[in-house]
Amino acid sequence: MLQHSGFAGVRWGNQIDVFSGSKHESSAASFETRGITFAALKA
Amino acid sequence: MTMDVRPAAVDAESLRSQISDKYSEVAKDPAKGFHFHTGRPLARMVGYPDADVDALPQGTVESFVGTGNPFSFGSMKPGETVLDVGCGAGFDSLIAARQVGRTGRVIAVDMTEAMREKAAAGAREAGLANVEVRDGLAEDLPVDDESIDVVISNGVINLCPDKMAVMKEINRVLRPAGRLQIADIIVHKEVPQSAKDDIDLWSG
Repeated sequence: MLQHSGFAGVRWGNQIDVFSGSKHESSAASFETRGITFAALKA
Repeated sequence: MTMDVRPAAVDAESLRSQISDKYSEVAKDPAKGFHFHTGRPLARMVGYPDADVDALPQGTVESFVGTGNPFSFGSMKPGETVLDVGCGAGFDSLIAARQVGRTGRVIAVDMTEAMREKAAAGAREAGLANVEVRDGLAEDLPVDDESIDVVISNGVINLCPDKMAVMKEINRVLRPAGRLQIADIIVHKEVPQSAKDDIDLWSG
């Protein structure tokens, strides 16, 4: 999606289980949901 | 890892209304308790340095919601123009405003009035005159073409039904060779279409 919208040089950061311990934990866990960071440059 | 970029079959206006209601609660009553983490505990969880958080107004911190730390890829540079897409209570906007300094500026955009008010109040309390809060949608940013050095966003794009439209809009406002630094969520299991079309699952 990033490339198709005009970005390059994509970098990905660590994934974090940001819903762990929250009331949303069970539904988030069912899809293995993780917080993630990414960076890119306008191509 | 799955990347489905088709717009979801939810009513966009209804979705925005539900999300705005939810985040108005986070702005006005942050101690209420939500289905996601908020405030200082969340900031610690996703790796913000305590010094950055300590420098922010209490109201800004307590209504913080996000899924990561966009500054983990590096700080903003002095003089840069930064756009915070879905700024919420202004947590990242105010951090960016300190980093760009008086010669830079931050445009903070959010669709939820209560969050915009909180972001503006936080900037005033922090003495940050280089923060401008604007009403707008991620899919239709109130920002000129190629006017932004860096776009940041935290936990917002997953709430937008047409993610490709958001990314194209971010591309439009960035200067050539401008950069984005974004935190959001990713799923490792296929989300069934029935779940994608369930508006209640979007707004938490």
